[in-house]
Amino acid sequence: MNWIPYGPHALLFRFADHVGEAALARQRGIVAELERHPPAGLAEYVPAFTTILLEFDLKIVPEPKQVAGELLKRFETAAQAKLPASPAKEIPVHYDGEDLETLARAKHMTVEEVCELHCGPVYNVYMLGFSPGFPYLGDLNPRLHTPRLASPRPKVRAGSVAIGGEHTGIYTVDSPGGWNIIGYTLLKIFDPSRGGPKGLDEAMFLLKPGDRVKFVQV
Amino acid sequence: MGDEIFEILEPGFGATLQDGGRVGWRRFGVPPSGAMDEHAAQWANRLLDNEPDDPVVEILLQGSKFKTLLETWVAVTGADAGANVPTWRAVRMNEGDVLQFPKNHSGVWIYLAVPGGFEGQRLLGSASVYVRGQLGHTFVRGDVLCRASSARFELSRGVAGRAVDWHERRNYESPPPLRVWRGPQWDFFSGTDREHFLAQEWTVSSQSDRVGYRLTGKPLKAPAAEMISEPVLPGSVQIPTNGQPIVTMCDGPTVGGYPKLGLVDAADLSWLAQCRPGLKVRFVE
Repeated sequence: MNWIPYGPHALLFRFADHVGEAALARQRGIVAELERHPPAGLAEYVPAFTTILLEFDLKIVPEPKQVAGELLKRFETAAQAKLPASPAKEIPVHYDGEDLETLARAKHMTVEEVCELHCGPVYNVYMLGFSPGFPYLGDLNPRLHTPRLASPRPKVRAGSVAIGGEHTGIYTVDSPGGWNIIGYTLLKIFDPSRGGPKGLDEAMFLLKPGDRVKFVQV
Repeated sequence: MGDEIFEILEPGFGATLQDGGRVGWRRFGVPPSGAMDEHAAQWANRLLDNEPDDPVVEILLQGSKFKTLLETWVAVTGADAGANVPTWRAVRMNEGDVLQFPKNHSGVWIYLAVPGGFEGQRLLGSASVYVRGQLGHTFVRGDVLCRASSARFELSRGVAGRAVDWHERRNYESPPPLRVWRGPQWDFFSGTDREHFLAQEWTVSSQSDRVGYRLTGKPLKAPAAEMISEPVLPGSVQIPTNGQPIVTMCDGPTVGGYPKLGLVDAADLSWLAQCRPGLKVRFVE
């Protein structure tokens, strides 16, 4: 593990070299540690595939670099924690996306084979990003790895289940997007109306990093 | 519900409610949002004895018109769009007055404050509108804006007015060199490219918005190695494969896979925000 400064108020820790379940296990250990014992002055943290960003309030921690060494030690230990797997959340999908046939043809597969390969595994939520609550899911069967569209669509509707490179994901809001759309879910992955009084705002987000997802063909 | 203060007669190029932004939701993919030019937004609030981060209306460029529904103090700061009231000072508006911003002369974002701040639905701890994330919406014709409280604002007895000092008002047509920190991938770039980045003038592209400001100039050579997506801070100078920098702004994505050469200092990001397309900017370490 190592760290670098990212501006005067943030530190970026690199806890793995490759995307995958081993990296996610380390990420979950570090996040659990941050939730249990938040460092003084921590304003927010952002976990990603192999890195985690810690942002500090400079009024409380004027020189975040000075606490980096101690945090690194704590994270080294925390990253080795063996946390129980989260139960898999089922997400119903209609496999009728506009790129499904093109993708199947390019892979010399039938549409049915693509659907079976896609809804076969239980996926991990490696990180959220791109738009509110958008889950980057893996590991996708290598036979389904597909480059992004050469030019992104100006509008992809919320609920679109798509493949981008080595990952699959679900668009959470209507937005521009360059992933290959293979299906749709009616489940709202992000829904501002689910947020409530203070403390319940997390309910807006169906998934968080470390959660597991199983697509079910309907 | 607070008092109804304004009705939107014309939204113009666009107007939204913004405050100090949301903190703590980036790990869910929600960017901070908030006023693009914190300096001007905070001055609008200070003129009326508000908290610096109270909700203000952020207005893009020109064309918007607001009808005053109730006699009130207001403060208008930021971009110069030929407002029909004095700007950078506390001003009284009478019921029926129409506040308008007919033509942009300098800067990009205008800020309008009322005593006590505007009322807005707080989502994830902030009233800042984040259009793409469906947190709030852009104002449309007919919308009515309320103030959050019936806060009283009065000038002290014997004081004729209150204005922002001249030295605090900015000339948005001539931004200073923007201070940058080294980004996480600074070392991925050649010494020549790092020098080019700091030595040349970059032109602000018209493809700039609350998500990101694109800059054009002599392209840099983006590192060949593919990057694993990682967290991105607002102010990051990202270098995509075409070598033309994109500076992430406050509605920008929370993660991304472009190498980040630098990070514009938070205090200077408001200068960049007010740069109109075509303006030239420089960076300094």
